[in-house]
Amino acid sequence: MICSSMSWPRKVAQAGLLGLVLLISAAVLAQDANQVQDQDLDINLKPIPVLTGYTSYFTRVTAGQYQDTPGVTPLLLVPVGDRWLLEGRGSYSDSFSKDSTGNYTGRNSYGLGYAQVDYITKYVTVTAGRFITPFNIYGERLSPSWIRALQVTPLTSPLTSGAALGGMLRGGFPANDKINLTYAFYFSANNTHHLLATDRSTGGRVGFFLPGPRVELGASFQQVLQADRAHAAGGYFVWQPNRVPLSLRSELVRSSGTKGGAYWIESAYRLNQISALRRLELVGRGEQFFAASNLSPVTIKKLGALGKDTQEGDFGLNYYFRSDVRASASYGRQFVLGNNANLWTIGMTWRFVMPLGPSGNKL
Amino acid sequence: MRMSTAISTVFLALAMLLALGAAAKTNDGKNSTTPANTTANGSTASATTVANSSTQDENLHLEGERRFRSNCGRCHVAPPKFPSRMMATIVRHMRVRATITDADMRLILRYMTE
Repeated sequence: MICSSMSWPRKVAQAGLLGLVLLISAAVLAQDANQVQDQDLDINLKPIPVLTGYTSYFTRVTAGQYQDTPGVTPLLLVPVGDRWLLEGRGSYSDSFSKDSTGNYTGRNSYGLGYAQVDYITKYVTVTAGRFITPFNIYGERLSPSWIRALQVTPLTSPLTSGAALGGMLRGGFPANDKINLTYAFYFSANNTHHLLATDRSTGGRVGFFLPGPRVELGASFQQVLQADRAHAAGGYFVWQPNRVPLSLRSELVRSSGTKGGAYWIESAYRLNQISALRRLELVGRGEQFFAASNLSPVTIKKLGALGKDTQEGDFGLNYYFRSDVRASASYGRQFVLGNNANLWTIGMTWRFVMPLGPSGNKL
Repeated sequence: MRMSTAISTVFLALAMLLALGAAAKTNDGKNSTTPANTTANGSTASATTVANSSTQDENLHLEGERRFRSNCGRCHVAPPKFPSRMMATIVRHMRVRATITDADMRLILRYMTE
């Protein structure tokens, strides 16, 4: 038992070291092809601080329970010199819901999504601070309300640690003319602050992006280094055919311990070809959650939604008034043993971008 | 246990050999590079240079647009073109967030600030 618990981190370390060496060799191989382009593409622009983010207002009806949620999520970007970027994203929202007496009660919540310092070089970006865990793609790239195709969070999200406090190496480079290789490896410390809680964990993600057929796929791994020392592995896939305005996305997560596994498949089709409906997008998603086996009744009760097998289907419409203003509506049906539920959502998002300095000078 | 350690060591050694080989190849490439257009002179040469420059700009524009659509469209709808210094900040942010390659970032920034 001691032997197996000792060998597991060593294997992880060996795999990580091997991966890093392979990445470095691939990066060095890629250097020659890019040298000429770099000279042609030098643009002397001095970036300025920018305040961006989004506001949203959504009404949700989950199993008959109404909830109105206005919120704002500002993101501050402060570039320093040629290689540094400071970025911080906060959030504030109110939730108004009807209690058992029929009265509406409000509850506000706020948090810090991330606050990180990035040092950017050609092949590696070094990140320190609080950041979103690089596990698959939903948490890092698709979760903001103005981006996500469906407002209902997929069942894979609670299975891994979503935030980290520590350091990360990440980047992307062309492996050859047709494939870009992306990677991210991180280490996080334990933090018990109620707003900034993180697990002591490590993990990473490696992905391949094929710009020609617009296909992206990759795999992720996460090892929690505290409590039950659970680990999780996952994969993701994105395909956007060149000839059709379709986005096909999918994620798969399998975790050890009591959390189980899940997957989702989502398609979004923009009706570009019909002029009257060109601002409309149709979205569908199917997903399944598999609870861990051999859970005791007490554990099932404690886990709540993560304690029972669940299937869910969602269908949604997004209407783009502009690229930054969108109305969304969706209906979903969740199938849980003895507790099926309807999930309705309707609302709007606005993505804003504001300069914090003179914005148009070419230096 | 010994067998797995030996296998890991062999894999690591192979990977390091690959890295060294790749580095050696890169150095060879650098040494064999010759300066371009060393014989160009006169008005014919300058006219050719202007024409080449225009063609290259067009190519970079098209390539920038292609990479903008393939990279940015992976997650969200295409944003409008913002003022150039804002764009420089946003592209830097997106490079980190979406692990966009250095060449893609430069092409996208060039395209978005034209």
